[in-house]
Amino acid sequence: MTTGNPSYTNPKPCKHLADYKLNHGLSGYKSLQKHLKTAPHGKTSVGKPNTKTPRCISCDGFQDIERAELYCCVCCDQVYDPDFDKAVISKHIMGITGDKNGDESIGKRLVKRRRLSSGVVEELVDSKISKQLISMRDRRAKSCYPLGLRGLNNLGNTCFMNSVLQALLHAPPFRNYFLSGGHNHETCRKRSVGRLCLPCDIDVVFSAAFSGDRAPYSPAQFLYSWWQHSANQASYEQKDAHEFFISVLDGIHEKEVKSTQSRNQNRDNGDCQCIAHGVFSGLLRSDVTCMTCGFTSTTFDPCVDISLDLDTNNFPSKNTATKSIKPDANSSMSTLLGCLDLFTRQEKLGSDSKLYCQNCHERRDSAKQMSIKRLPLVLCLHIKRFEHSPVTKMSRKIDRYLQFPLSLDMTPYLSSSVVRNRFGNRIFAFETGESDISAEFEIFAVVTHAGTLESGHYVNFLRLRNQWYKCDDAWINEVDEGMVRASQCYMMFYVQKSLYQKANEDWSCLPISPRRNMFGQ
Amino acid sequence: MIFLVSQRHTGLAILLLSLMSGFNEDNKASHAQLSSQFFGDLLDSIIVDVASECHRIARLGLDRNLEEEEEELRLSAQARVRVADPSNSGESNSKYVVDIFGQTHPPVANEIFDCMNCGRSIMAGRFAPHLEKCMGKGRKARLKVTRSSTAVQNRYSQGSPVSTYSPYSNSTNTSRLSNGTSGVAGEEYSNGTFQEP
Repeated sequence: MTTGNPSYTNPKPCKHLADYKLNHGLSGYKSLQKHLKTAPHGKTSVGKPNTKTPRCISCDGFQDIERAELYCCVCCDQVYDPDFDKAVISKHIMGITGDKNGDESIGKRLVKRRRLSSGVVEELVDSKISKQLISMRDRRAKSCYPLGLRGLNNLGNTCFMNSVLQALLHAPPFRNYFLSGGHNHETCRKRSVGRLCLPCDIDVVFSAAFSGDRAPYSPAQFLYSWWQHSANQASYEQKDAHEFFISVLDGIHEKEVKSTQSRNQNRDNGDCQCIAHGVFSGLLRSDVTCMTCGFTSTTFDPCVDISLDLDTNNFPSKNTATKSIKPDANSSMSTLLGCLDLFTRQEKLGSDSKLYCQNCHERRDSAKQMSIKRLPLVLCLHIKRFEHSPVTKMSRKIDRYLQFPLSLDMTPYLSSSVVRNRFGNRIFAFETGESDISAEFEIFAVVTHAGTLESGHYVNFLRLRNQWYKCDDAWINEVDEGMVRASQCYMMFYVQKSLYQKANEDWSCLPISPRRNMFGQ
Repeated sequence: MIFLVSQRHTGLAILLLSLMSGFNEDNKASHAQLSSQFFGDLLDSIIVDVASECHRIARLGLDRNLEEEEEELRLSAQARVRVADPSNSGESNSKYVVDIFGQTHPPVANEIFDCMNCGRSIMAGRFAPHLEKCMGKGRKARLKVTRSSTAVQNRYSQGSPVSTYSPYSNSTNTSRLSNGTSGVAGEEYSNGTFQEP
């Protein structure tokens, strides 16, 4: 049973350990602590077996000295105790920072309270109003198909744009914002002055998609606006869906950010209240550890998506040890979880890239590890299918199949899980102030790519009310789940499970009334 | 002799010392015995490492939901087999006769509207190339693409992080896939009705 927060099942200490603690308190642990040896990579062992440690007469429990684990001879099993783990971790902290108390969390701790980013979206979403707006517009809805499902005309190699637009049109919190008038193109001041406003153009696209008209829509105005916006950036000529996605979010941010906030305010990057960041922005944690002393430097960076390398070398996943040993035909297949494991793996930086350690005061061999400090409402995962060879100076596309799940639990990739794992999964509060957001996600859109680097085609698969639709520019067709699973994914859009379920309930199709049929649909 | 292997490297040191001393014919057998004994100890140590780790993960309830993961893998494998089966024409490139709304669409979108830059009537499917020219060669002249992922990432990450170390950065190159052909239904695809698998 997976839970949203990485919590431990706090095991009841075995009776014998409990008795021992009753009799001797924590003095045994404290004296043991002196002999604990910590290593920079997080493992603990015991230096000299200390005969002075009070021993329980009946159980004669002792420690696994190689691993600093407790073993009860009577239970004949390894046992766990939060107090012991706390002593172990405190030793680590003391060793690194020289802090005698050692009761703080490892590394820098972000104390600032974070406002629920979903709060931003919640206030702007009034589902009752949205529903009324929809029903008013939905005069020509074709029978029972999901609202907002509408083909997009290819304007000349613009499938990169269409595929991402479809994902945005159906990202629940993003969609709700625009449908409930979050940015009304008719009343926007920037627009009326004749200035470029990308959110307005997106609002127009939303209106068109949810109008009930099912003939394919040509997002020409949007293309025009986006090109003007991206002309300011060096990458406007890229016809890559991922680049387009980043560019659109940037364009929205520019216009949406409140006038009270300066545009490039570093401090509030993680807390930007614009709809683009409110929906897609998460926070990544990067730990760089000195391999000599164990001192870890932690930084946090906001991100609107995560770009993943394919796990082509098939690194064993973090919890391979927990998998049952059975010959698995799929073991050579790349999986999304494998890519995420690779992303959060501790990576030893080469000896040619030694980094300065603040503790050692010199350059040392280091290891870097990424993890997710805060998950967004909508998680966009991008697969780096582009490979550049520095030797041949050639680039190629990696067509390798990538398996991806429809339900995704991101718990193992959260900072709390990753950091905890680095220290041997000790019972200790490594990360605090995390997860008011659940880690369970459901996929709702997949952008796939077929073809080569220079000449290829993007298609989007949408999942609405548990039915999959293939959105190939103007063509919308129903497809089965198998086709989506077997496709070559490039960008995957996951939304928090609670929002996905809510979206499925709210937007049930409107039945055709006899009166509506008079309009010929 | 009784060896307390408290540290792996200590064990290896002992092995080395034993081998270095008395290196002659008589000791060869006991050297072999010694080596295999140490190898056994080292192997045991590694096995217990893994066992201990697993035990802790299981006991503290930290293991991932493997049934769900395996189910997803199974479904994906099944799907790939079905799609690869030549008897199925349920391939994503198959041509559809109509879409779900009963509509059909030409290979090049033929909706006509006015260009918002020059005012001319343009056909939808040719709008983008027209606009590119229409908006002037100035766009292309201004283009100085730095195809470095870091540059792009930094631009879009709204400011640089404060740190001594380099933060989240992709490997040196962006992963970008451009599309050349319009890829509209009909061009490379087989003719015929799409059949459900």
